[in-house]
Amino acid sequence: MKIAVCIKRAADMETRFKIAADGRSIDEAGVKFDIADFDGFAVEAALQLKEKDGTGEVTVISLGKDAVQETLRKALSMGADKAVHLKTDAVPADALAIARVLAAELEGGGYDLMLFGRMAIDAANQSVGPMAAELLGVPCVSAASQLGVAGGRGTARRELEGAAEVLEFPLPAVVTIDEGIARPRLPSLKGIMAAKKKPLEVKPVQVGESRVTVIKMELPPERTGGRIIGEGPDAVPELVRLLQTEAKVL
Amino acid sequence: MTSSGRSLPIVPGQYQPALPTDRFIVAEPPDAEHVPMDVVFVGGGPAGLAGAIELARLARADAEAGGSLGDIQIAVLEKAGALGEHCLSGAVVNPAAFRALFPDMADGDFPFRAKVAGERVYFLTGSRAIRLPTPPTMRNHGNYVGSICEMVRWLGERAEAAGVNIFTGFPVASLLVEHDRVIGVRTTPSGLERDGTRGPAYTPPTDLTARVTVLAEGTRGSLTQAYCRWRGIGSANPPLFALGVKELWESARPLDAVVHTLGWPLPNDAFGGTFMYPLGGNQIAVGVVVGLDYRQASLDAHELLQRLKLHPLFRSYLQGGEMIEWGAKTIPEGGDWALAERRYGDGLLVTGDAAGFVEVASLKGIHYAMQSGIFAARAIFDALKMQDTSAAALASYDQMVKDSYITRDLYERRNMRLAFQHGGLYGGGIKAGLMTVTRGAFPGGRIASERDADVARTSDGVAHVPPDGKLTFSKLDAVFRSGNATRDDIPSHLIVGQDVPPAVADFYAHLCPAGVYERDGDRLVVSPANCVDCKATDDVGPRWTPREGGSGAKYRSM
Repeated sequence: MKIAVCIKRAADMETRFKIAADGRSIDEAGVKFDIADFDGFAVEAALQLKEKDGTGEVTVISLGKDAVQETLRKALSMGADKAVHLKTDAVPADALAIARVLAAELEGGGYDLMLFGRMAIDAANQSVGPMAAELLGVPCVSAASQLGVAGGRGTARRELEGAAEVLEFPLPAVVTIDEGIARPRLPSLKGIMAAKKKPLEVKPVQVGESRVTVIKMELPPERTGGRIIGEGPDAVPELVRLLQTEAKVL
Repeated sequence: MTSSGRSLPIVPGQYQPALPTDRFIVAEPPDAEHVPMDVVFVGGGPAGLAGAIELARLARADAEAGGSLGDIQIAVLEKAGALGEHCLSGAVVNPAAFRALFPDMADGDFPFRAKVAGERVYFLTGSRAIRLPTPPTMRNHGNYVGSICEMVRWLGERAEAAGVNIFTGFPVASLLVEHDRVIGVRTTPSGLERDGTRGPAYTPPTDLTARVTVLAEGTRGSLTQAYCRWRGIGSANPPLFALGVKELWESARPLDAVVHTLGWPLPNDAFGGTFMYPLGGNQIAVGVVVGLDYRQASLDAHELLQRLKLHPLFRSYLQGGEMIEWGAKTIPEGGDWALAERRYGDGLLVTGDAAGFVEVASLKGIHYAMQSGIFAARAIFDALKMQDTSAAALASYDQMVKDSYITRDLYERRNMRLAFQHGGLYGGGIKAGLMTVTRGAFPGGRIASERDADVARTSDGVAHVPPDGKLTFSKLDAVFRSGNATRDDIPSHLIVGQDVPPAVADFYAHLCPAGVYERDGDRLVVSPANCVDCKATDDVGPRWTPREGGSGAKYRSM
């Protein structure tokens, strides 16, 4: 089974962000980058499918500047077999432009499964995976919390509000992965050594016109401090009252 | 303060558990699945990375010249999740070692923030700042202000480019030994549950073999302590340590000079001072350093820093600004008399802070660490060429250190720190002045010192500073600002003595800047996940051991 996983290099969400001088992006100075959260789950899902199957190949693909090679190496050190760096100076805000580049790479790759994170943690579009599926003309399941393959067909579980559904679909297919799948493994020391020798192909790409642009980025308003309304059981009625009348969560 | 804390002096050493040498020194053959290396550096700080870079270059030059060494595999093992995340320093840096390591580069190419533009030393009282002449040892003309995190990340890129294998998130749990020889290291496992059982993400330890293992583990290195104990390597005086607590601020207004202060808020019988450094733009580093031989059981370095910021000299820069990072670390400040008799053994060298290469009068350590790493690399290169990595073959490292500015500087100021253990701020200050004038000839001979753990502490009930969350912070808020997001369901990595009396529990609670220890009634409550690996209690109380990789602080610009 051939599996491709499209991963994005994104800022560690624990980072304290600053808006860059252009007012439209984050200041990358001192910011730590890693595989975007859900993309890490997608890599883990792919590795588990391959291990269960006992055979197969996992290719990780990332779009961006040279720094994404570090992200690809991390996926290789987790156990992916090959990496492709689609090299461009800037990743556009337009999800369709991104999906076109990725679909062009996936097309003809002979992949049975093409995995994405449910969304990139920094852009939160949730669009690139489904758009790539559309461009490739293959079935798409989004936000899968479990994924299995048997007899040329895939099964996926999706968590819904108050329920869950299990779907079946033919391969090849695109699946975007939610966090219910096992936590991404940490690279082992041997994995890191092995990753240095795994193939990482660099392909310069032209990203098409971006019809969506970021015109402004701002930080969320500072959280106002909490309030202590009392201690012990005596404070409960007041807490309930405030939760009903002020916070309006009850 | 409690009456239990006031009554009797505490001698912390009486409650300190023994160093678990048998955990750190393991006489086992490496695992069948071990990773073979030629040289392993334990610790990816300035010492380990400088050493790895120098060694990789020497090996490459040898290969290009058709030498006999061939391809050698060099590994740097770092316990933090990413390079620099466990590094903390002031830092005003002497660029000498950067120049030595990168002779083709200009100072402007190095990862410093700014050249020292001016410097001021003050004696503080609770409300005033009295300008003092800058002591000769503290003159920083020609030095640079910078962030050790940034320096280490920069060195890491160069090491990687030179072909060094850098493994972050892999603390070393043990030295693997065969007879008297160190033959490699074993990493800590990860994914253990709190009770020590294997969780779903369990990763077993990895063994790495090495012809030479270089301990570059930083201040109070556990392996270094255990190795010296195991081999019976002593020092003239016991090592002494200070605790530094530091915050990084986006300040309300820029600072134009490197500022050091003496006096308030430290008690007169404590050795230490404070600093405020301009990091370019509006960033300011502010911190307190206090020797761990202090006499008051209630002394709390984190609180001292909070109080310091209320002083007009500091408040005028910080009020209205934002604290963006917080951290703490011990500093080896025993100087020359506290250095180990030797820093080499069969298959082993000790460098940097782990070796105690810090000169306390000038508050410098980074360039000594890097320089010692460079010397280690040269000694290892020669030893590998000779195919002999015995203690005798590696002894040239110690000779290089002895012939260099590392030993010269530490020797000249060998008694300064010690004068303060006996004379307090004023007596010690006068003696230190005489030592400076005589370039170390006064007073002649060695001033003996006590282990920090053996210094008796009495409690005097220092008032607590209630944090306002803007200028002053609780320990809990502070730990959050260290980036610490350690899983709180991993086994405790701290070895705490049995039946710790309440007064000692209070002492730990004040000592630990990260709020790991609290007294609840008569009970000591320990929250290991808060730990930022400063190692303060390892000096005088509960022992620190390496835990799961990537735990602890995630410093970005400290």
